[in-house]
Amino acid sequence: MIGLVDANNFYVSCERVFNPALEGKPVGVMSNNDGCVIARSAEMKALEIPMGTPAFQLEGLRRRGEIHLLSSNYELYGDMSARLAQLLRDACPDVAPYSIDEMFIYLDGFSDTQCQTLGEVVRRRVRRYLGLPVCVGLAPTHTLAKLANHVAKQQSHYQGVCLLTANSPTTTALLKQLPVNDVWGVGRRLAERLAVSGIRTAWQLRECDPKQLRKRFSVVLARTALELRGTSCLEMNALEEPRQRIMTSRSFGQATGVKAELHAALRRHAQRSAEKLRQQKSLTRAVLLFLNTNRHRKDQPQHSPSAMIPLASPSDDTRIILEAAREGLEQMYRPGFQFMKAGVMLLDLVDAQQYQLSLLQPSHKAHPHLMNAVDAINQRMGQGTIRFGMTEAEAPWQLRCAHRSNRYTTCWDEPMEAGTHPGAIAAARVKREQQRLARAQRLAQPRA
Amino acid sequence: MPSHPAALKTATFTTSTFPTTMVATALPLTSQPLPFPTLYGRAGFSGFPSPAQDYEPRTLDLNERLIKHPNHTFYLTAAGDSMEGWGIFEGDLLVVDRSIPPRLGHILVAMFEEEVLIKRYALYQGTPHLCSAHPHYPPLPLEETNCQLWGVVRAVVHEYLP
Repeated sequence: MIGLVDANNFYVSCERVFNPALEGKPVGVMSNNDGCVIARSAEMKALEIPMGTPAFQLEGLRRRGEIHLLSSNYELYGDMSARLAQLLRDACPDVAPYSIDEMFIYLDGFSDTQCQTLGEVVRRRVRRYLGLPVCVGLAPTHTLAKLANHVAKQQSHYQGVCLLTANSPTTTALLKQLPVNDVWGVGRRLAERLAVSGIRTAWQLRECDPKQLRKRFSVVLARTALELRGTSCLEMNALEEPRQRIMTSRSFGQATGVKAELHAALRRHAQRSAEKLRQQKSLTRAVLLFLNTNRHRKDQPQHSPSAMIPLASPSDDTRIILEAAREGLEQMYRPGFQFMKAGVMLLDLVDAQQYQLSLLQPSHKAHPHLMNAVDAINQRMGQGTIRFGMTEAEAPWQLRCAHRSNRYTTCWDEPMEAGTHPGAIAAARVKREQQRLARAQRLAQPRA
Repeated sequence: MPSHPAALKTATFTTSTFPTTMVATALPLTSQPLPFPTLYGRAGFSGFPSPAQDYEPRTLDLNERLIKHPNHTFYLTAAGDSMEGWGIFEGDLLVVDRSIPPRLGHILVAMFEEEVLIKRYALYQGTPHLCSAHPHYPPLPLEETNCQLWGVVRAVVHEYLP
C-alpha cells in the first residue's frame, strides 16, 4: 500500500498553530511580495475569493477585519514541513516528501486493516504533536492514493482517512464519476485531446488498452491507466535526481531602473543559486541572466533582455558566478526602463564528483573550504549572514512582507507568547512599548 | 556522536601579547542544531599523548537534558506574573513538548477562550481546573468551557544575564 499524507490548507494551518485566534476565521496567505492570494482557509473559500486574487482587491475587506491576509512566512512553513516529514519517518517504514505539504508513505507488507489503522494514528499524531490537520489517502498505487486523498478531504464521513482498493465497488463508482482531468498527471490540454477520443471519465481511461494509449498519447498516460487499475508503475525516484538547472528570480517590491540596484538584486540571486548548486554537488557551465519590465504596464516602454555567460570551466564558486552576473548586466542594461523582475539561472549542470579535471583547464575549485564555510555559516545563522561584496540591507527591490507573522520556530527573537492569565500578553506588550518610549525619551533629553 | 572533520582542525596562534600558545578549536559547522563542540583531549599536546585519549570525549549537552522529542518541541516565551509561584517569570523561555499526554500536576500551554495561557492542570474542589500561583487569578474550570491543549511545559529557562 502507498499512502499520501497531505496537509489541509498547509500555509494557513501553519499560521494557526502559532496564532490560535485565527481558528475558524477566513485567512489567506499572499505570494512573495504580497502580490496575490496563494493559500486560503476553508472559510475564505466559502467567501468565494478565488485563488490568485490580487491582494490590493482585498485590502478593504482586510482593513474592515472581515478577512485576515498574511505575507508568506516560508521559514515557518519549511520548518513545519520538515517536522511533518520527520514525524512520518518515525511512524512509517519509508517516506518520500513530494512537495512542501504532501508526503508519500510506503507500507509494504501491511494488511489493509493495518494500513487503515496506521493512517488514523498518523493523522491523530500530526494533529496532536504538530497541530496540523492532514488527510491520508491509502491505495495500491500513487495515482489512486492521490485520488483517495482527494476523497478523504472532500467527504467528511471518511474522517480524514480513505483507503481505496483497486477493484472495490467504491473505487469503481468513484472512477466513473471522476472527470479525467482530475486524475493526477492529466492536464487540461490532454483532457481535451482525450475527450475527442471519447474518454471523459477516469473509469474510461482505466478501461483503455495501455498499448493504444502509449501509441496515441504517451508512455506516462499508459502508465497512469495501469495505475488506475492498481498496478504500481510510477516511480518517485525522479525527485531524488539532481535538478538540471537552477533558477532564482524574484519580482521587486518596487520597479527600478537604477543599475546599482539591479546589480545588487542579481548579486543576491547569484549567491543563492550558487548555494543551491553546491548543495546538490553540481558544477555549472553557463549562467543565464534576465531582467523583465512590468508587462501589465502597457503605458511604459517594455524591455526584457537576457544574457548568457558561458564559464571558462565548470564551477560552483560564488565569485565566478558573481563575475558572470556583472558581465551579464553590462550586456543587458539599457537606461530608461523600469524593471520589475531579475533572475539568475544556472545551466548545463554537471556532477562535481564525476567531472574530470583536465590538465589544460584551471582548477575549478580553487577554494572549496571557503565556499563550504560560507554555506555552513549561512545554514546555521540564517540566509544571507555572510555575503559577497556589497548587497545593501534595505533596498527597494527587496521583498515586501508587511503582514508576515513571526518566524516562531527559526528565530530566537520571534517566539510565540503565552500568558499566565487572560490579558497578560496584551499587558506585556503595552509594558514593552512603554519601556521603549521611556528609553527613547531618555536618549532624546540632553545630558545634564 | 559524529565526529566533524572541522572539529579536528586546530589552529595555533602565537603572539607577543600572549606568553603561552593558544589553541583554538574550530566550531563544527553543520546545519544540525545539536550538540556543542566536542573538546578533544589530545588537542594541544605535543609531547606525551593525552591519557584521556582512550575515553570517548563527550561533553554534556543541555539539549539532551531538556529536550526529549526535538521534532515535537517548540519554544515559547511567558508573559505575566501569575505563575511566579511555580517559577515562571515574565520573559522566561518555555520548552514545550506537544507529544506528552497531559496529567494532573503538569504545567500546560492551552488555548482558553481564544487566548494562549500557561497554567497548572490540577484538581480544585474535586474537578479539573487550570490553576495559577497567584491569589488574584482564580482557577479556571475546564468543564463546559472552550479549552484546547497546546502542549506540556517540560522546562523553563530563566536567564539572569542578557
